[in-house]
Amino acid sequence: MNPMRKVGRVALALLTLVLSAGCWDSSEVNDLALELAWGIDTAKNEDLMISAQVIAPFRMGSAEGGSSGGGGGGQDKPYFVMSGIGKDTLDAVQQMQTKLSRQVYRAHRRVIVIGEAQARKGLKKVLDTYSRDPNLKLRSDVFIVKGGTAKEFLNVAYPLEDIPGIGALKEYSQIGTLKEMGLINLLISSISDGNCPALPAIAIGSDTTGPEDTDQDGSSGGEGFRIAGTAIFDNELKLLGYIKGSEGKLLRWIKGELSKLIVTAPIEEEEGEVSLDLNKLRSKVLPRFEGDQIKIQVILKGQGMIRENNTNLDLMQPHNLTIAEEALEKQVETSVSQTITKVQEEFGADVFEFGEVIHRKYPSRWKSLREDWDAEFRKAEVSVKADLTIRRIGVTGPSLHLKERNIQK
Amino acid sequence: MKIPMRMKSKNKTVPRNPLGRPPRSDQTDEISDDLSANEQVLKQIFRNSSDLIYRSFTIPEQARVLLVYVDGLVNADMLNQVALQPLLFEGLPGSAENAGSLGTLLKDRLGAVAQVKPVQKINDIVASILKGELAVLIDGEPQVLLLSLGGFEKRAIEEPSAELSVRGPRDGFTEALRTNTSLIRRRIRSEKLKMESLTLGQYSKTDIVIAYLEGIVSESVLKEVRQRLERIQIDGVLESGYIEEFIEDVPWSPFPQIQNTERPDVVCSSLLEGKIAIFIDNTPFVLIAPMSFWSGLQAVEDYYERSIYTSFIRLIRFALLNISLLFPSLFVSLTTFHQQLVPTNLLISVAAAREGVPLPTVIETLLMEFMFEGLREAGIRLPKPIGSAVSIVGALVIGQAAVQAGIVSASVVIIVATTGIASFAIPRYNLGTAFRLLRFPMLILAGVLGLYGVIAGMFLIVIHLLGLRSFGVPYMTPISPHTPENMKDVWIRAPRWSMHRRPLLSTAGNKRRVPEGQQPSPDRGRNES
Repeated sequence: MNPMRKVGRVALALLTLVLSAGCWDSSEVNDLALELAWGIDTAKNEDLMISAQVIAPFRMGSAEGGSSGGGGGGQDKPYFVMSGIGKDTLDAVQQMQTKLSRQVYRAHRRVIVIGEAQARKGLKKVLDTYSRDPNLKLRSDVFIVKGGTAKEFLNVAYPLEDIPGIGALKEYSQIGTLKEMGLINLLISSISDGNCPALPAIAIGSDTTGPEDTDQDGSSGGEGFRIAGTAIFDNELKLLGYIKGSEGKLLRWIKGELSKLIVTAPIEEEEGEVSLDLNKLRSKVLPRFEGDQIKIQVILKGQGMIRENNTNLDLMQPHNLTIAEEALEKQVETSVSQTITKVQEEFGADVFEFGEVIHRKYPSRWKSLREDWDAEFRKAEVSVKADLTIRRIGVTGPSLHLKERNIQK
Repeated sequence: MKIPMRMKSKNKTVPRNPLGRPPRSDQTDEISDDLSANEQVLKQIFRNSSDLIYRSFTIPEQARVLLVYVDGLVNADMLNQVALQPLLFEGLPGSAENAGSLGTLLKDRLGAVAQVKPVQKINDIVASILKGELAVLIDGEPQVLLLSLGGFEKRAIEEPSAELSVRGPRDGFTEALRTNTSLIRRRIRSEKLKMESLTLGQYSKTDIVIAYLEGIVSESVLKEVRQRLERIQIDGVLESGYIEEFIEDVPWSPFPQIQNTERPDVVCSSLLEGKIAIFIDNTPFVLIAPMSFWSGLQAVEDYYERSIYTSFIRLIRFALLNISLLFPSLFVSLTTFHQQLVPTNLLISVAAAREGVPLPTVIETLLMEFMFEGLREAGIRLPKPIGSAVSIVGALVIGQAAVQAGIVSASVVIIVATTGIASFAIPRYNLGTAFRLLRFPMLILAGVLGLYGVIAGMFLIVIHLLGLRSFGVPYMTPISPHTPENMKDVWIRAPRWSMHRRPLLSTAGNKRRVPEGQQPSPDRGRNES
């Protein structure tokens, strides 16, 4: 055959092949309803209510370029909340779709919020779709709305971010935890016997009266929302209760998920406090058996810099550093012990992953413990040892405003 | 694509002289000793040719002489002053009897002015006159003296406008073949530099020179070049492109398999790498074969600037090459098929920019690419004063106004502009055009099949590139087949003292470029003494 005709025929065949596929699966970006945050609530008759924070891109910040033109009036918020009710998540999404002109696109969801009511009912019935659907990413954070529903939370505007869902994510990462690991950690801890999930709790409103630890009652006034402690779940993925924000941080330190923490300790002799900004946090859990008694030693290590020193100590002096270090270590040991005791007594759910450590170290003994680990966990004796190192003390030894005679050399 | 393809065409029997009529019989005749008869023959052959000059005069006490030449091709001034005027006014020295025939005498005399060759065949005389030689016919002599005087108008040596460099020699080839070969000779003063010549073109009779370095060039490649050139049957050769299309390996490939250049330094460095240069008269573009894909990414200046900087630029250039091929298709496939792969914030800005745009992203991108190519094409052809108007119209109307009117989205304009810039960063123009061309099918594949289509397209391109050969030398060497020794001049450009070997696949014989142990260091030289 003439080579030209041969080439022509092959080209024609390829073109037909390509064009008969006909752009299926393609969808323009402006035909998608992107949502970054996603809420799960209970509804009547055992139904689920799914709410989504849908983004309206043309209302986003400066990107008004060649958009629909009008602008000005109407809502200014670049998002709105749409809900749907159904027997399960997909069913609810189907109902939600009837209210949206663009296709619900779940692949960019980064935050899942769960209403308190749904959390108390349990999460077992709602988790499957997030790991089954190939379009959905496991890199999401899961929050529990303390004293509220997910829909209420999604409706709250956040002053710093266009999309409030992103605000929640960023607030959470500012605490010093790994971002976007929530969902996968939840799945990991729910399959193991010796481990109960703990999820960050979030509450609407930012006006709180006391220090972080005292105000724990869900919604309050003020714009935005705040991270309000950590929600503790049992092995059946049902919400048991909350621990305070500071306790939640210590919990993450024990689990090795914390990257920064500020520890403040009073130094009694000097009538003042020292604050250590820790940025290298390590933990080690050492279980052992004395007869049938489980003894667990938690060793916490950290390094950091003194950023505030309200005592008269001259931190240039090594012996003063030792005083400060000892006070800080004592502070950490006390508060960690209290936290562990509180969880043991109030919830009896092993959110510290102690069971997993025992499982790894004593696999044979674990077999007998596994069945009734919650009770064993309550009985376990836990001791805490902190080992903090002050690496730097800032630019001065003693405080600059102190008179020479007051400085404690 | 494979070598046997060209064996097939070699075995074809070529009909003798398929173009035009067979040569006329009277032209093969030998010239007679009757001057006026010869003049009649020549005038018959060159009838209706107003640029033919016939000058006849009589040397005192001797015979009549006739000069025939083409006006404008021969510089007759020098001939007149040095050779003919003394003859006319002083006559021949000594007596005619002891000096032999007039022809021999004239030959001696004229030999001081130019190269002289006596010819008998009318055929050869006609060819030489057309080549720009001056024919001297003498009454009573059965031969014609042909003088190579040269002297036609030539352009001066200028800097080539298509291949500029900040550092490096500024001379470029001209339209005159001998000027061009002399530029090479001046750079490589070795007797190993060979220049074979042949003539192509039934009517144009264009001179062609094959230059190579004996002992470095691969004899099999050289033989192949000679054979392919000799096979060409064509009426005229006006530019090196005429030749290129006849001798390339895969005519339907978008990729150029023969390099062309206007720069003598590029030709010389290629010769030193064992490549072969083909000079064609009347064009400043010299062909270099075999070409490798990577030589398309090597700019002249890479070898003049320091190697660290050059290596960095090479990497950037390679990135830009990929951008020029893939950027629009990746954009289209990511934003219409795989939105989950785009970072959230970027996707939101893309979505915001697309709000209200009437066309699908594929069509929009195709349209903008089309307009960009149109702008480029218009800019090349237009006279300089109008050229700036085109760029203003392009930038304002197509760029800004279209975005503001909401006909195209700002992100597509950015993509197309970036791609355009990237495609001009490829040093060899003809390789850049290959990628500009392939961008369109890639875009369609992306619009129809998404990333799957882009990857399928890339597979096709890579498979094609790996199978491609230039005069039997694999196109992708030294990546495939892998020759680690030559990798020093691909992604990076290693310092010259460390590039010890010439490209292995196109070289035979002397493969050593630089002896080892020349890296500058404080200790160097101290140990030797």
